[in-house]
Amino acid sequence: MTGVAVGAPRRTAALTARTGTAARWLAACTAALVIFSAFILANDVDPLSVLGTIWTSVLTEPRQVEQILVRATPFALAALAVVVPGRAGLVNVGGEGQVIVGAVAAAGAGMWVGADAAPAVAVTVMVLAAVVAGGAWAGIAAALRLVGDVNEAVTTVLLNFVALYLMLFLILGSWRDDAAMGQATSPEIGPGAKLPLLGTSGVHVGIVVAVIAALVIWFAFTRTTWGFRLTVVGGNPEAARRAGLPVTVLLLSALVLGGVLAGLAGYVHLAGAEYKLRPTFGANIGYIGFLASWLARHRPLAVLVSAAAVAAIAITGNTLQISAGLPAASVNILMGLVLVAVLGWTSVRKADA
Amino acid sequence: MTAPSHRRPPSRIGAPPALLDVVGFTKSFGDVHANTDVDLSVQRGEVHALAGENGAGKSTLLKMIFGVYEPDAGRMFVDGQPVTPGNPAHARALGIGMVFQDLRLVPALTVAENVALSLRTGFRLRMDGLVRRIEEASRSYGLDVDPRAQVRTLSIGERQRVEILKTLMAGARLVILDEPTSVLAPQEVQSLFEVVERLKAEGLGVVIVTHKLNEVRAIADRMTILRRGEVVLNAVAPADYTDGALIEAMVGRAVAPLPRQRRPVDPAGRTLLALSDVRTDGDRGYEALKGIDLDVRAGELVGIAGVAGSGQRELFEVVLGLRPLTSGHVEVRDVDGVPARPRVAAAIPEDPVADSVVPGLSVLQHMVLDGREVPRKGVGVDWAEVGRRTAEADAKVGLDIAAPRRTLSGLSGGNIQRVVLTRELSTFSPVVVAAYPSRGLDIANARRTQEVLLEQRAAGAAVLMVSEDLEELISMADRIVVMHDGHVAGVVAAADADRMALGRLMLGGAA
Repeated sequence: MTGVAVGAPRRTAALTARTGTAARWLAACTAALVIFSAFILANDVDPLSVLGTIWTSVLTEPRQVEQILVRATPFALAALAVVVPGRAGLVNVGGEGQVIVGAVAAAGAGMWVGADAAPAVAVTVMVLAAVVAGGAWAGIAAALRLVGDVNEAVTTVLLNFVALYLMLFLILGSWRDDAAMGQATSPEIGPGAKLPLLGTSGVHVGIVVAVIAALVIWFAFTRTTWGFRLTVVGGNPEAARRAGLPVTVLLLSALVLGGVLAGLAGYVHLAGAEYKLRPTFGANIGYIGFLASWLARHRPLAVLVSAAAVAAIAITGNTLQISAGLPAASVNILMGLVLVAVLGWTSVRKADA
Repeated sequence: MTAPSHRRPPSRIGAPPALLDVVGFTKSFGDVHANTDVDLSVQRGEVHALAGENGAGKSTLLKMIFGVYEPDAGRMFVDGQPVTPGNPAHARALGIGMVFQDLRLVPALTVAENVALSLRTGFRLRMDGLVRRIEEASRSYGLDVDPRAQVRTLSIGERQRVEILKTLMAGARLVILDEPTSVLAPQEVQSLFEVVERLKAEGLGVVIVTHKLNEVRAIADRMTILRRGEVVLNAVAPADYTDGALIEAMVGRAVAPLPRQRRPVDPAGRTLLALSDVRTDGDRGYEALKGIDLDVRAGELVGIAGVAGSGQRELFEVVLGLRPLTSGHVEVRDVDGVPARPRVAAAIPEDPVADSVVPGLSVLQHMVLDGREVPRKGVGVDWAEVGRRTAEADAKVGLDIAAPRRTLSGLSGGNIQRVVLTRELSTFSPVVVAAYPSRGLDIANARRTQEVLLEQRAAGAAVLMVSEDLEELISMADRIVVMHDGHVAGVVAAADADRMALGRLMLGGAA
């Protein structure tokens, strides 16, 4: 080996690497904002005033921040649903469907126990129903992958459509709430089943669930044998096979656990924010979670930050529509720009060996 | 060791300038000095051998000559004219051609189409004319190549000739061959050397990278030896030096030959590895093993020889239970004779980077990926215990592995190989399967690896070893099994093995 490495230079090198990454992040986000400004300008609106509005009426406005956190909660859980299979080298694009199926199962369970059920009973049954349904939904894709060698990125996407139409089938049919005056929604969940708010804020306890889930996954990845093995499978399946690891079981468990987390996201969104299923229920939660996971480079704790960031952009859309007269969808441009810029500029390049 | 004279002028007064002159090439990667003040001079009509251990800086030197790397310092002259090739295309235009170790042909295309890829062909591709030119060129250089043949139907030796042809068609006057013989059977080496002689006779310069001294003596006019990025022997005639002196120049110290005296195999010893009529399919669907019968006894080392792609990889994988059989039977037994799962076997894979390395994980984390139970602490891995075992294994095997915290994917091939060898060979395994165990290692570590494998044999393990180095097989094995096209072409006792006879078997002929 070449000489003993001295501590100080190595630390400095690591520090430079880290500040370099941070600088690239900053540059990527700035670039995205600049391009977005050009877009705003093209709509005859002053970009500086728009960015100022975003700052004063969204990011520094307590009620809006609460909204961001509420929105971020299912995003974070849906992102974790991508993080866990991603660790094993699997691509779960099925968060969307798994979220819906989880919510549908939770709503069904809520109807089954009845609106007057004790909160403890209602919550337990609904959570169980949601995670089992989400896990099973992902399990279909896992089974197809392991038995028929069908790529999970394809099957999970296709199952999203099945899940959506399953929900529509139910709320347009037997679950339709007669009291909703013709609208296609399921009956609202019982008062005991609704997630309580944190103190006097408008934020429900689902956010605690998301943070705990991220911490548990971080611990599982870094401190458990299962997490270590999952990393090996994701890094090099051939090495895992040769090391005698139960590759099939690991892949299955990762994808099913992803489904469980997405199901939980569906439950949290139903019991904390929407209270009933409607045709647009959970729209894009799975896909935005997918983006948040990629932004966080599939790291469980970073997901909390990226989920909050995409939630902030989503909330900004409403403000822009009201204050600047821009279409609400225009923030999707910003979201897309940020994602492309960040992924493109902060990718981990292979060191020159 | 005498230091080379550094500030040599590019050419002696009066003499014609050399074809290639490299003066004082220096290159560092971070704090690794890959090349320090390296000189290399190649005349027209000269075969110049470049030797040195892995990591001695040969590849760096060649890449600077070929314009892949830019030297930190130093100058380069072609025909006495100063040049600085900025990229491989520029180097090619200067008449420098490179044949890489891993051949870079497109298997689905024909020879002519592959040649066309490396030429400027304009908008229209005129294949007929190209085919004629290839036929002329292959005749004039004695390269026996059919331009219309699909590359995937060609043997490795033939593909190498296509690569050489490519460089010649692109106008090369200096041909650099990077370890060309490592993938060839002895007969193919001989025909390669005939081609090299022909190039030499045509007035071209040839640089051949090799560390096999018999090859250096057979083909090279002069040789340059690098060690740790510096020239230790500069353009000397190999005949002036003994093998011992040349090895010492490469390694920096004398390396004792392997002990020839070994306890003979006990004919009544237990068979620990038994294959009967084993058939299996390769990755592309064709049958890769066509009925293999093979036994290895306790305390026996059986070597597998064969041209690359003769079924060695598939044999290795069926022994380890990694590839399903289409028929036949593989049995791996523990020392007490009871049938055991293949997990009992220690395995050195053919391609450690592809088969063993998990990007981002450390040396320490790789040490537990040997198929045995991982030491646990609660729900996690007991990394402190793994660290203790790693230190113990390193001390025992003596291959001096990299620091436990280093990321494996950041290590060189040789360092990765040492980690895998240390992990697999630090404890006794009844069955040891090793594919190319000393590949990528320097001479000293390769020798130590051979010793460790022989120690496993002496301890009563059944060792099956695949190697492309016939010398290694002859010096280590009790029996050599030669494979050809998925069959056992012959079994030879190592004591009376003859290189040329083994080569004939490897190529599918009779012994």
